[in-house]
Amino acid sequence: MHKCIPDAEVIETEINQTPAFVNEKIDFIYLGPCSERGQEIIIQKLKPYKEKIEELIDNGTVFLFTGNAMEILGDSIKNEDGSKIDGLGIFHIRAKRDMMHRQNSNIIGKYEDIEIVGFKSQFTKAYGDIEDNYFMELELGMGMNENTNYEGIKKNNFIATYVIGPILILNPLFTKKIMQMLGIENPKLALEEEVTTAYEARLKEFYQKFKSEKKDKGEKKEEKK
Amino acid sequence: MSKKTLKFYIALWGAKAGSILLKLLRRNATYFPGKFALSLCPNFIDMIDKYKTIIGVTGTNGKTTVCNMIEDILKENNYQFIDNKYGSNIDSGIATTLIAGATLTGKPKKDIAVLEIDERSASKVFPYLTPTYLICTNLFRDSLMRNAHTEFIAGVLTKYIPKETKLIVNADDLICSNIAPDNEKIYFGIDRLETDTTKSNNIVRDIIVCPKCNTKLEYEYYRYHHIGKAHCPNCNFGTPEADYRASKIDIKEKNMTITLKDGTKEQYYTPNTNIINLYNILAVIVVLKQIGLTQEQINNGLKKLKVVETRYSEDEYEGVKIITHLAKGMNPIACSRAFEYAKTTDGNKIAIVLIDDLHEDAKGTENIAWQYDTDFEFLNDESIKQVIIAGPRYLDTIVRMRLADVPKEKIEYAKNEVEATAKANLEGIDKVVILHDLYSLEETERIKNKIKEMIKEKKSK
Repeated sequence: MHKCIPDAEVIETEINQTPAFVNEKIDFIYLGPCSERGQEIIIQKLKPYKEKIEELIDNGTVFLFTGNAMEILGDSIKNEDGSKIDGLGIFHIRAKRDMMHRQNSNIIGKYEDIEIVGFKSQFTKAYGDIEDNYFMELELGMGMNENTNYEGIKKNNFIATYVIGPILILNPLFTKKIMQMLGIENPKLALEEEVTTAYEARLKEFYQKFKSEKKDKGEKKEEKK
Repeated sequence: MSKKTLKFYIALWGAKAGSILLKLLRRNATYFPGKFALSLCPNFIDMIDKYKTIIGVTGTNGKTTVCNMIEDILKENNYQFIDNKYGSNIDSGIATTLIAGATLTGKPKKDIAVLEIDERSASKVFPYLTPTYLICTNLFRDSLMRNAHTEFIAGVLTKYIPKETKLIVNADDLICSNIAPDNEKIYFGIDRLETDTTKSNNIVRDIIVCPKCNTKLEYEYYRYHHIGKAHCPNCNFGTPEADYRASKIDIKEKNMTITLKDGTKEQYYTPNTNIINLYNILAVIVVLKQIGLTQEQINNGLKKLKVVETRYSEDEYEGVKIITHLAKGMNPIACSRAFEYAKTTDGNKIAIVLIDDLHEDAKGTENIAWQYDTDFEFLNDESIKQVIIAGPRYLDTIVRMRLADVPKEKIEYAKNEVEATAKANLEGIDKVVILHDLYSLEETERIKNKIKEMIKEKKSK
């Protein structure tokens, strides 16, 4: 993103620092995946700023949370032994950890008119009603859990997805969309030609290689109906 | 150890018979017999009689090299042992090795077992097998899909390593040195080197804040990634003092001095002086000393060691050096180290990058997130005149290479490795460095042949 917007000032917040959005106007807030222990520390660190985060989401600040970062803003994270960690409770999802079974999947999802490709790699599944504020509907890969094709959360310009990085590099159209959300008209990407060629090739590859997987999923859906 | 049951004997005999049959059929018998035995008798590893001394080797990088060195030195000194060199390093491979090394009643035929143990498989191996010594070489992020992150792997090791096992751990690795805090430990480390820096040169460091109090760690020096010397400014967490400390590394004379905690100094031959191998050699020396080998015996063995060709090879052809260097795909640290080697080795170079995990690609598609944890930036260097990219993920690698600011005009590519190699410009080139994945050995050979063909052609013109 910095290569696409070279003039942007990037502020990296370390675990013991106060997030910059508390005292300054920030245009784009990113939080990436973290370890389970890291998640719990971040929840504690962000708790005092819950209302501020809600206010920023309501006023249209652009957010991107990837991987398990989304769970920090959810209601709770449950361990295998039944113990529970309370999240910030901004979104009503409940995550469930299963540390001996890592869920890996390749995804194709539809967000507005954009096809998003990427990878998920996580120990958790999330449950809760996101029908009104999901980020994308998947055509390939597992959604928030095994029973849904809905993936991620979107509210105003807040986007959270289990899809991991480099989601922006893999998805030039989506990156442009975010740049537009940031108020950039006619956004130009860094290495636009290279990333677009790679994106188109991956999209084609995913459709070709996993077509049968997609078909199977479709058939299963039919049976359920 | 549990009492042997009838099921155990059926599993043992069945696996032994299966192993003979597989060998007759010339099929790979590296994990199947163990898998069979474990499926029939899940407690199999627990029930089989154990060796007097079990040397386990785990960690992210260097397990195979360390095992190979231990085995070669033991052999050189006429020690009898079994190992899983040709078997897999997960539970079924270990069971296969124990089956092969056991009599029909399940008794070990030899005294020592040298076992490479996959760190992720700790939960399936350690409840049943107690290594006398367990080396942990280092702990870094590895395959994201399998190993997630280092806190997870360190947690699995801490949970499952038996309390009786004596650990031999890397003091300069703050993740590795802190596993299994209640176990008895021997630490090995290397004194400050000229190449150490006060600023990190890598994208990834797997430990940044103190795991006890979350304060940012202060590094006295960085060696590579999180390896170095650090302490927490807020509590007592930090790099432990090493029991075996290597210093005075003499690249020319190929030796180093090891200082023991009591001040005794011993000199050892070091067949390879790159930093990763120095740690590996150090771990090997420490464990062999524990089981009673003398300095002389160890040195005799070290002098006869050869680096396995699949990891590193050098070939000089008509004045051009062709180097193959393993750059394990999906492993950001191993690739970063290989890329740094391409940068720092002298001369004008072409780097041929073949890092896609073909094994992973055959199963589906490779998650390329790891490329963004890898220091491709090392390949953006004046001495590297051309970067050639090949393999199924070449389009992704081009993007990563360009984001590392490798100039467009230096990059050549093609999906097919020979086609890509044909674009090499050998004018003024001293070295061709082929950076390849573990599953691309045949492709690497084809690249080597193509380069030789091109050199020959160039000479004849």
